[in-house]
Amino acid sequence: MSVVTVRVGTRAYSGRGVDLRAESVAPAAVYEAAAMGDVNDRVVVESPKPSEGYETLWCIRGEPTTSVVRSLEAAARSRGQATPEDDERASVEAALAELDVPTVETTAARRRVARVGADEERLRERVAELRGRLQARREAGASVDSVRQTLSETAGRLAEVETERIAAEQALERAEREAAAARDARERRLRLEDRAANLARAARRRLAESVYNEFASALRSLPGEAEPGSTPGEFRGDPVSARLAAVRVADLDAPVVLCVDRFDDADAAADALDAPVVRI
Amino acid sequence: MLLVVTYSQAARATLRNVCQSHETVVVRRFGRAALFAATELGAFLALRLRAKHGGDVQLSQTEPFNEFTEVDEEIREAAMAYEARDSPSTPYAKFATGTDYPSPERMRDREL
Repeated sequence: MSVVTVRVGTRAYSGRGVDLRAESVAPAAVYEAAAMGDVNDRVVVESPKPSEGYETLWCIRGEPTTSVVRSLEAAARSRGQATPEDDERASVEAALAELDVPTVETTAARRRVARVGADEERLRERVAELRGRLQARREAGASVDSVRQTLSETAGRLAEVETERIAAEQALERAEREAAAARDARERRLRLEDRAANLARAARRRLAESVYNEFASALRSLPGEAEPGSTPGEFRGDPVSARLAAVRVADLDAPVVLCVDRFDDADAAADALDAPVVRI
Repeated sequence: MLLVVTYSQAARATLRNVCQSHETVVVRRFGRAALFAATELGAFLALRLRAKHGGDVQLSQTEPFNEFTEVDEEIREAAMAYEARDSPSTPYAKFATGTDYPSPERMRDREL
C-alpha cells in the first residue's frame, strides 16, 4: 500500500494513515486536492491518481448517503471491472449528446388566437346591437344616419378582425405542427435516457453482485453490526460498516477521508481498509 | 378532459407525483401520460406541469367520441364489416377492393 503525504500550509504529514484531527481541514478539501490535484489551496495531497469509483467512495462519514449497491459498483469499477452493458451505454449516451431537440413554444400563438377571438366576439355583438337599434329607429321614424354610420364602421372593423382571427388560427396550427416534430425528438431523447438508465442499473447490479462475497467477508473483518445476506438487496445493518467494507474491497489508490471513530488510529484504519487513510 | 403527455424523465416524475397526490383529479393514467378531469383544478395542475417543464409537457383537450354524430355511416359499416370478415389475414385495402367500402386512401384525406 502506498504512502501518502498531505501538506497543510507549511506542515507535512506522511504515512499509510495520516491524522489531521489537529488541523482544521474540511473533508472536501482533501478530496479536491487528491482528485483534482488542486495545488492552489491550503491542502496538498501527494498520492497516486485516484482510480475510478473514488468520487463515490472517498469519504466515510456518520451518515453515508450512497446505497450499498452504488458503493459496491464503485468498488468493482475501482478495480477495473467492466460490464457487457458499458459499450451500449456509451453509444446511447453519445446518441443523446448528438440529439438535436428543438424548442416547443406555442404560448404566443395560443394567446393571440384567444385575444383576437374575444375581439371578434365583442364586435359581432356590437354589430347585432347596432342593427337592432337601426331597425328600431327606422320603425319609429327617427333619424338613422348616425347609427348607420357607426354600424358601417363597426362592421368594417369586424371584417378586419375576422381576417386576423383566421390568420392567428393558421399560425397556431403551424406552431402546433412544429411542436409535434419537436416532441418526436423529445420522445426519442426520453427513450434513450430510459435505455441508458436501464443499462446503468443492470451494470450496477452485475458489478455489485460480482464483489458481494468479498464484501461479505470484508464486513466480518471490520467493526460494526451487519448481516450481509447473499445479495446486495439482502444487506441489513449499519450503513457505515457497509461503506467501510466497500472501501476495503475497492482499490482506490488515493486516500480515503475517514470522519468516524471506528479504529484506534489512522494506521489501524489504513490496515483494516487496505487503503491510505486521512483521518479528519 | 385534459390529456397531459410528458416528454422528459423529470416531467414524467412530476406527473407521477401529481397523480399520486391528486387522485380525484386523475381520470386515467398511462405511463407518461394522464387524463385530468375537466375542472379548474385539473387545469391548474396541468398548467403547473407546463410551467415547470415547458415544452416537455403537451396539453390537449379531449372528449368522448360519438361515432353516430362525427362519422358517416359508410365508415362505421366498413369497420363492422371488416371486423366480421371471414379470412383474418386479409388486409383492409384488399377487403375493400370491388366493394362499396371506402379505400384507406380516400378515408385518409377526408377530415371528420
